[in-house]
Amino acid sequence: MVQYNFKKMTAVPTGKDFIDIILSRTQRQTPTVVHKGYAISRLRQFYMRKVKYTQQNFHEKLSTIIDEFPRLDDIHPFYGDLLHVLYNKDHYKLALGQINTARNLISKVAKDYVKLLKFGDSLYRCKSLKVAALGRMCTIMKRISPSLAYLEQVRQHMARLPSIDPNTRTILICGYPNVGKSSFINKITRADVDVQPYAFTTKSLFVGHTDYKYLRYQVIDTPGILDRPFEDRNIIEMCSITALAHLRAAVLFFLDVSGSCGYSVAQQAALFHSIKSLFMNKPLIIVCNKIDLQGLDALPEEDMKLVTEMKAEAAKTVVAQGGEASGEAVLLTMSTLTEDGVIAVKNAACERLLNQRVEIKMKSKKINDCLNRFHVAMPKPRDNKERPPCIPQAVLEARAKETQQKEKRKLERDLEDENGGAGVYSASLRKHYILADEEWKEDIMPEILDGHNVYDFVDADILQRLEELEREEGLRLEAEAEAEDDALDMDARDLSPEEREALAEIKKKKAMLIQEHRIKKSTAESRPTVPRKFDRYRSFTTKRMGRELSTLGMDPSAAINRARSKSRVGRKRERSQARGDDEAVNMDVDQPNKKLRLRSRSRSRPPGEVVPGEGLRDSAQKVKAIKLAKNSVKLRNKSARRGEADRVIPNMKPKHLFSGKRSIGKTSRR
Amino acid sequence: MPQGDYIDLHRKRHGYRPDHFEKKRKKEAREVHKRSAIAQKAIGLKGKMFAKKRYAEKALMKKTLAMHDESTSRRKVDDKVHDGALPAYLLDRDETTRAKVLSNTIKQKRKEKAGKWDVPLPKVRPVAEEEMFRVIRSGKRKSKQWKRMVSKVTFVGPAFTRKPPKYERFIRPMALRFTKAHVTHPELKCTFNLEIIGVKKNPNGTMYTSLGVVTRGTIIEVNVSELGLVTPAGKVVWGKYAQVTNNPENDGCINAVLLV
Repeated sequence: MVQYNFKKMTAVPTGKDFIDIILSRTQRQTPTVVHKGYAISRLRQFYMRKVKYTQQNFHEKLSTIIDEFPRLDDIHPFYGDLLHVLYNKDHYKLALGQINTARNLISKVAKDYVKLLKFGDSLYRCKSLKVAALGRMCTIMKRISPSLAYLEQVRQHMARLPSIDPNTRTILICGYPNVGKSSFINKITRADVDVQPYAFTTKSLFVGHTDYKYLRYQVIDTPGILDRPFEDRNIIEMCSITALAHLRAAVLFFLDVSGSCGYSVAQQAALFHSIKSLFMNKPLIIVCNKIDLQGLDALPEEDMKLVTEMKAEAAKTVVAQGGEASGEAVLLTMSTLTEDGVIAVKNAACERLLNQRVEIKMKSKKINDCLNRFHVAMPKPRDNKERPPCIPQAVLEARAKETQQKEKRKLERDLEDENGGAGVYSASLRKHYILADEEWKEDIMPEILDGHNVYDFVDADILQRLEELEREEGLRLEAEAEAEDDALDMDARDLSPEEREALAEIKKKKAMLIQEHRIKKSTAESRPTVPRKFDRYRSFTTKRMGRELSTLGMDPSAAINRARSKSRVGRKRERSQARGDDEAVNMDVDQPNKKLRLRSRSRSRPPGEVVPGEGLRDSAQKVKAIKLAKNSVKLRNKSARRGEADRVIPNMKPKHLFSGKRSIGKTSRR
Repeated sequence: MPQGDYIDLHRKRHGYRPDHFEKKRKKEAREVHKRSAIAQKAIGLKGKMFAKKRYAEKALMKKTLAMHDESTSRRKVDDKVHDGALPAYLLDRDETTRAKVLSNTIKQKRKEKAGKWDVPLPKVRPVAEEEMFRVIRSGKRKSKQWKRMVSKVTFVGPAFTRKPPKYERFIRPMALRFTKAHVTHPELKCTFNLEIIGVKKNPNGTMYTSLGVVTRGTIIEVNVSELGLVTPAGKVVWGKYAQVTNNPENDGCINAVLLV
């Protein structure tokens, strides 16, 4: 199914924008760096690529325009004619044709210049040819800029056309201007059509949707038509004529019998007869609107005659479709002001349309395929016995109870009626409060108390917080009590002179430690952290450790013996056996695991042995040299200064900052 | 108002927002600042384009301002006599210029005999042979160098056929053969796309003339029958000389000025 949605067409840029878009695209998407010294084939290729790329882009963009705009001959004739009425078919075709020509011309220019570029023998010549080629393409585009502007306007207008599906169930409303067509569509659908008390308020087609028998109907509101020759009709009227001519819809011809629209019944009848041919093979209903002003019964004699004439004409369409010639469904009266008969008109129109569509479908060949599959069972009664549905008694009772209960529930409205009606009864807002105690509901709540706003002091979780506070206080009180007990103990004991002396000693020591710590701390901040091995003054020695330990009253000999220099005697620790060793022995011999195999150990050189070389005569000389070197760096190392090994060549030009194409900015400012 | 025009419909029903016009005014007032910010920031091609646009706007504005200033500023009265202005007592006489035309044609004939013309481009840059021809090596070992390919635009007649390769010394590539030229009539000040009849003279030498090479300054003969020019004798002129004013090999087209 073809959907007519013109909203998705891409925007058409103006001629100038078009050129800018394409040229900047070429600039961005093709290489930009070229030098005189390049091989000539490379130069040619560089410029040929630019020309071709530009042409491709032009071609692509112009092709989208040509493809996306609908071709008036291919779409539904309703849309074809509507677009012709609105935008003039000739103009439209001419514009698209010009674009097509431009596309071909551009391709031709590109072809010619690529051919010339093949014989380019210098950078300058190639470049000149490229410039000329792009210039000619742009000139061609400049020439079609009026067409582009026209197409852009057409596109914008097309996007705002109502999306009418020409094949679905449709109700079409037509008639003279100002007879109440738009008011009717506003009544039966949610279309929000402007209604004003002057002619030609509606200037284009409007569409709305309504439901009847669970089916959706499309209602189309058309602008008013005047009774005049076809050639004199303006664009607004031609929209209606197009819709009438091409849509297979139920037509509602609106008649203003009161004549308040400014046209007499005779004029309207004349219009009816002049556009009669457009109603052929369509369900037609004549709707007499505004009967609140003028009833159909009180119509003058000659007007009534005209109306009956029209009715007879409309009834012919019913007969032609094989219906019975009753005048009921052909002439209807209504008033959109009082909403009198509006729904009846809608229903009648939908019904007629539905019947007609079903009939047409039944006549078509395709229906046989569907009918074969249908079987509607219609059981015949075998005897005269009644077989009502069986409902259990309990269910019936429950239902009755439910309805009673439903009734019983008292609404606020009932309460109001009981207590003196509106204005007297005032509903209590407190009734539905949810409170801890039912009785609190009616309590008086002052807003101001002692000159303070009560609400400022209201706290939702005050109780919880109070509880917390109390618990905290309890804890604190307990702690205080304990502390007091301790203090009493200390005070209560009397010290002996020796003990007092010891206490003084302890206090002094403590003070010393603190002081020392502080000194250390203050200097530690400003001095570099030097590893222990660079401890220049050798202040941390075993001797010092022994002295300090003995002042504390301990025997330092064991600690001194355990010090590193003493503890290491003889050989180093033996290499322990590999962990998986004994497991490997237990393993199956057929599948020796490589991983578990014992690692064979290489023979290492004994420590202290030096291999001569590097221009040194023998091992002794080398040892001497190493020693000298070590001595020379000793002092530097002690003070943790930079030595020879710390020499480094910094990267003055890091690659990532100096290579590649700059996307934005410059080398100095990235 | 079509159905899709939501904004218009809303405005029709409820009017504009209270601050709509204020906002609009402010937006317009800020627009200049925004544009100047962009002008300062934009770099590269976009910047160039923007600058050009701004410059054009500015020039136009200055022009209009100057135009409005004109009424107040003092200037000299323009009392130049126009060309061809006639005193009142001569107004009703027919002017005859035919005698002059006749003498012109005689002059042209003489010049043609002498082979000299008063041309718009009296001096042209000489083109070296290396530039004009490309050497094409031939033979099994590519050792023979007697063939040349013309690397400029050429004109060959409609009945031209190439010589057999063995004897073809000068190759004139198909892509560089032109049959039409854009010819400007200097008095009418308009340009026509005319067919070339032949190459009359190439200033670089007779060999190029005979080869039909078209470079800048070359005199070509073009078919002007479309223009409807008539000789003083009343015959229709169909061939006329024109001088090439551009480098056709660089522009991909031949531009010429008609010699009259």
